Formats: sequence, structure tokens, C-alpha cells
Amino acid sequence: MHSKASLNLWLIAPAALMVAIFFLYPLAFSLYSAVSLDDGSLTFVHLVKAFELYSNDMLFTVIIVLSSVVILAILSITIAALITLSPFRSIVTIMSFLYRLPLFIPFIVTAQMMRTFLAKNGLMNNAFVASGLMTPMDTISFLGFSGIIITFVWKQLAFSTLLLTGAMAALDDSQIRAARNLGASRLSILWQIILPQVAPTLAVAMVLSTVTMMSVLSVPLMIGTGTPTMISADMAFRVNSYGDYSVANALGLVSYLICAGLAWFYLRQSLKDKGGIA
Amino acid sequence: MFTKTKVAVLTAISLTQFTGFAHAETVLNVATAGSQNMVDYVKTYLAPKFEAMHPDVKINVVGTGPGDAGSHKILEKLSAQNDSNQEQWDIDVAVVHQKIGAQMVNKGLLSKYRADISTATLVTRESAKNALGTNVEGYVMPMFHSQTAIAYNSALVKNPPKSYDELVTWTQKNPKAFGYNGIKNGMSGVSFVTGWIYAYGSNAKTLTSEAYNPATKDSWNQAFTDLKAFNKNITFTPGNAGTLDMLNRGEIFMGPVWVDMFYSWKDQGKIPPTMKLSLIAPGMPGQPMYYVLPEKAAQAELAREFIALATSPEVQAEGIVKRFNWYPGIDAQNVQSKLDKASWQKLFAEITPQDLAAYGKSFPIAQYFDDIKEGYERKVSN
Repeated sequence: MHSKASLNLWLIAPAALMVAIFFLYPLAFSLYSAVSLDDGSLTFVHLVKAFELYSNDMLFTVIIVLSSVVILAILSITIAALITLSPFRSIVTIMSFLYRLPLFIPFIVTAQMMRTFLAKNGLMNNAFVASGLMTPMDTISFLGFSGIIITFVWKQLAFSTLLLTGAMAALDDSQIRAARNLGASRLSILWQIILPQVAPTLAVAMVLSTVTMMSVLSVPLMIGTGTPTMISADMAFRVNSYGDYSVANALGLVSYLICAGLAWFYLRQSLKDKGGIA
Repeated sequence: MFTKTKVAVLTAISLTQFTGFAHAETVLNVATAGSQNMVDYVKTYLAPKFEAMHPDVKINVVGTGPGDAGSHKILEKLSAQNDSNQEQWDIDVAVVHQKIGAQMVNKGLLSKYRADISTATLVTRESAKNALGTNVEGYVMPMFHSQTAIAYNSALVKNPPKSYDELVTWTQKNPKAFGYNGIKNGMSGVSFVTGWIYAYGSNAKTLTSEAYNPATKDSWNQAFTDLKAFNKNITFTPGNAGTLDMLNRGEIFMGPVWVDMFYSWKDQGKIPPTMKLSLIAPGMPGQPMYYVLPEKAAQAELAREFIALATSPEVQAEGIVKRFNWYPGIDAQNVQSKLDKASWQKLFAEITPQDLAAYGKSFPIAQYFDDIKEGYERKVSN
């Protein structure tokens, strides 16, 4: 029994080592750099500076990520529900092909696309003007925070819809049929039968999307204009422009803290799914 | 029988491969920071020229990315190889920005090679000796000189501003028609802000050539307050290319750009021919890119020859000025005789050599530069 346990430990050793070297060590190192001076003494000056200069940007990041997640949740539930419940199978086939497309496009390509699409005289506004819906004077630029939200939602939609559609397809079909026999409308089937059961998957999709959005640099750099901007852009600026890793790491620490709460939720959820804890 | 022939053929083929490799060329590693056009310049123009002169040499060009960040990567790599006491470093020639070039000299990563190459005497300008307050004489050869200026659409703006004061008045009359990219999305915006401080904070001479005084930045409060007010009348653009894109789409009529990028885009038809440049008083900064030779480069001798070729008047005329629309790195009078009149005039048509001499400033010394950027973050964008 005892030997079996130690054998198991050996089995996880390579993975644990990888995590330790490539994740835990850099993590500890950057946390240390965020709270220490060059001579090694502990300090809060970097954190103070980070809040002094970038508190607006932190708020901005949280607002952008939250609004993106809310819009993302609404859209992906809608699409997944349509795919699961719609009686028009041909539309469903087209839709389940279309929604997956963004999955294969990297963030930076998406950002470049949106940059020409959303600009004041960009493709979208030009199309409206050409179709007579707008005059050139009415057009506005979506470059800036709204552009960042649009790009995030567009890109992450495929991922979260994929997870949700999968979870909905895994539900027992007989429940939906039973509800329908008892006269429930499609909307109430969605609200009362489907959503409560896929809620954990939805939450996981949103947590993973949040963490992805927090880490993307290309989108705020290419679509964001001036200030405020997202924390990731500030970190890049501290490093590239001042060679100042300490304040960049202090900003990283703030990012970690925002994500850590979510990670805790995600880990708890995935352990629960695997029956790790009751 | 057939098997034997096959074996013989295969052996012969593999042998030729081996001899091929054994014969193979010495590799000269050239790392260049900067935008894609710089990598293109080295890869498509300079490398083939050098390889033609040295048939047994193969040039391996590595682009490390735009802006100081790209140069910083080269610095980090050399620094790491230095810290681990490697005998030979794997970069033979590096092209870096002014600020990072100075840091490399301070860290002792560079070789003092200039006296050993034939083109050393062709450069006399200040930026080949002094990089943002650091004495770099002997360690660097300027590849080209880059300048920022205000681009405007001459079809819509008949009398472009000639100074920062006039620009401020112009933006008040034409709200949102001027655009720049702040300070986090590229150097053309940083340059515009630096010029603003030269105009309303401390003059360029103090900030570029005098010893650092931490109290100087306290006198810039009014300049930053005014800039914050100025920012309300303008449009923010997403990056250096973003400014040119918006000029092209007619979303803004005026904005700060890098002169070389501007001319390249104009050549490629990516911005309309009505776009023109104006270098406004009291001046905007520019910077040279430097050729440097790492202290322990594996192919130091070849590297010196490479840099000598790259800074020869012929290459500077044909490659730097004519093909890539950059201001030459070596002194202009050494280049002019190698150039046809039309190419020369094209480069100096909108910004005359007199304007360039009067209003082409360098960036401030490193500490003041950080003060300007941080002051902007603290007082303008916060």
C-alpha cells in the first residue's frame, strides 16, 4: 500500500516538476520583484506607484472584462439554445458551422481585422453609408473601449458557445420532451430545465474567457486609443519604455489577484465535477 | 546489382551533402531591432550585397521587433551571454535604438570598433558621439537618422501650422481633426509629447545636453496641464501605423509621424499624394539607429567589414536614401555626390535641410525622458 502511494508520487513528478520550474518559480520571482527593492529589502513603493498611476486603468480593465463577459454569456446562451432547441435543422447546421470560425483565428489577426472594420471610415461604417442607412457625418469610430469589448466578445464567443452547446447536448433529451409534453414553451424549457443544469459549464467558460482577456496584449494595443487602457498594455509599457520590471510585476500582482479569485472558483468546480470533493 | 548501385548512389549523394556542409559557409548573425522595413532592408538589400562580395559567407538576419522593446531583447540576450561567461556570443552585428545603444555601452557589452573601419571619418554629427547623455564615441556607427514631423493633408489644410503655438490654435478651430497615439502605443506620440515639453517645459538644449537635475521636471506642471486641455480637442489613434491609417481614411487631417514610414507608405500608395510634412518649431525629436558590434562577437572581422559596407557612401545613397527614404546615417554631404538630383530633392522637398538643422532635435537624456513619460502618465492621462 505504502509503496503504491510512493509510486503514484513518482508518476506525477515530471508534471509537478514542469509546473514548478515553468510556472511556480517565475510566479514567485515576479511576486518577489513586485515587493522588493534592488538590494532585496521589502517595500510597497512599486505597488503604491502602480495604484497611483494606473488605478484608472485597473478599473477600466475590470469594467471591460465584466461587460465583455456579460455580453458573451448572453450571446453564447442564445446561440447554444438555438442550436439545441430550434426546429429548423438547416439553420442549425449553418449556425453550428459559423459560430466555430473565430476559434481558429488568433487574437492579433482578429485585432487587425477589427481595426479596419470598426474605424470611423472603416468597412462597417462605409457599408452603412453605401447602403444609405447613414451619412458620412453620422459615423462614429468604435476604436477604443467599445472596440476592445466587441473584439473580445467576437473572439471568445466560439469557445464559450462550444462548451455550452456540448453541455446542452449532453443533457437527457427525455427531460426536454417531457417538459414539452406538459406544455412548456421553448423559452421556459431553456430557463427552467436547461440553464440550471449547464450553469457550472457556463461559469467555467466565463472564468476561462476572463483569464484569457486579462492576458491579451495585442487587442488593447491595436484597438485601444490612448488612455485609459488595459493593465496588460501598461505592463508592456513599463517594461519596454522604462525597463522597469518592478512596477510591471506589481501590476501583474493586481492581475493575479483578480484572476486568483476566479481560478479558485474554477478549481473548486472542476474538482466537484470529478467527484474530488462532495 | 541494383542494390549495390543504389548504395553507391546514396553514398555519393550523402557525401556531396557532407562536403557541402563541411564547405559551408561561415554564418554572420545580424540582429536588427525596428519595424519590418528595417528587417527588409538588411535582408533584401544589404545581405545579398555582402554575400556577393564574400561567397563563403551566409548572413542570418533576425528581426527582434519594433521600438525600444526590440533593441531591449538584443540587450537582454547579450547581457545573459555575458553573465554566463560565454566565450563567443551569437550576435555579430546588431542594429539598435539610441537609448539601448547607450545602455549597452554602459554595461560594457560593445566593442570599440569604429576606428578600425574605413568609413569612420564620414560621420561627424553629434548623435554618433553622444547618445542621450552617454558618451558612445567609437562604439557606434549610425545606420540612418529617423525624424518625426507633422503630416497633414494639403488638400484640406492650406496653411499648416509652423509651430506648436499655431498647432494649438488650429486644433481649437478644428476639433478632433488632429490625431496622435498617446505615449503607450508607439514612438511618434512619445516624440510629439517630447516636442511639447521642449516648447512649453524646458528647452531642448537643457534636456538633451546638460547634466540631469531632478528639480527640472517640477517646472513642467503648466505644460502638462495645457497638454491635458489640448488632448480634449484631438483624436487618439491606435499606434504609429494607426495615425497614418486614420490620415489615409480621412478620419484625421493632421498627426505626428515618422518621416521614413511616411515616405514609404506614400511610395506604396498607402496614403494619398496630397499628404505633406511639416517640421514645427521649436522642434521635434528624431533618433539614429546604430550599428554595433558585440564585445565577443564570433565573427568580429567580418562584422567590421559588414558595417563598413553598410556605412559606405554608395550604400547609404542607394539603399538608405533612394530605396528606403531614410535620412543618411553618415554626414549628408558625403552621400549627396553619389545620388541623382531627383532622389535628393524628394527627400528634402518638404522638410528642407535648413528646417532639419533648426528643428530636428534629439531625444532628451534618459532620466529626463523618463520624467517626461512619467509626468505624462501622472498629470495628463491620469
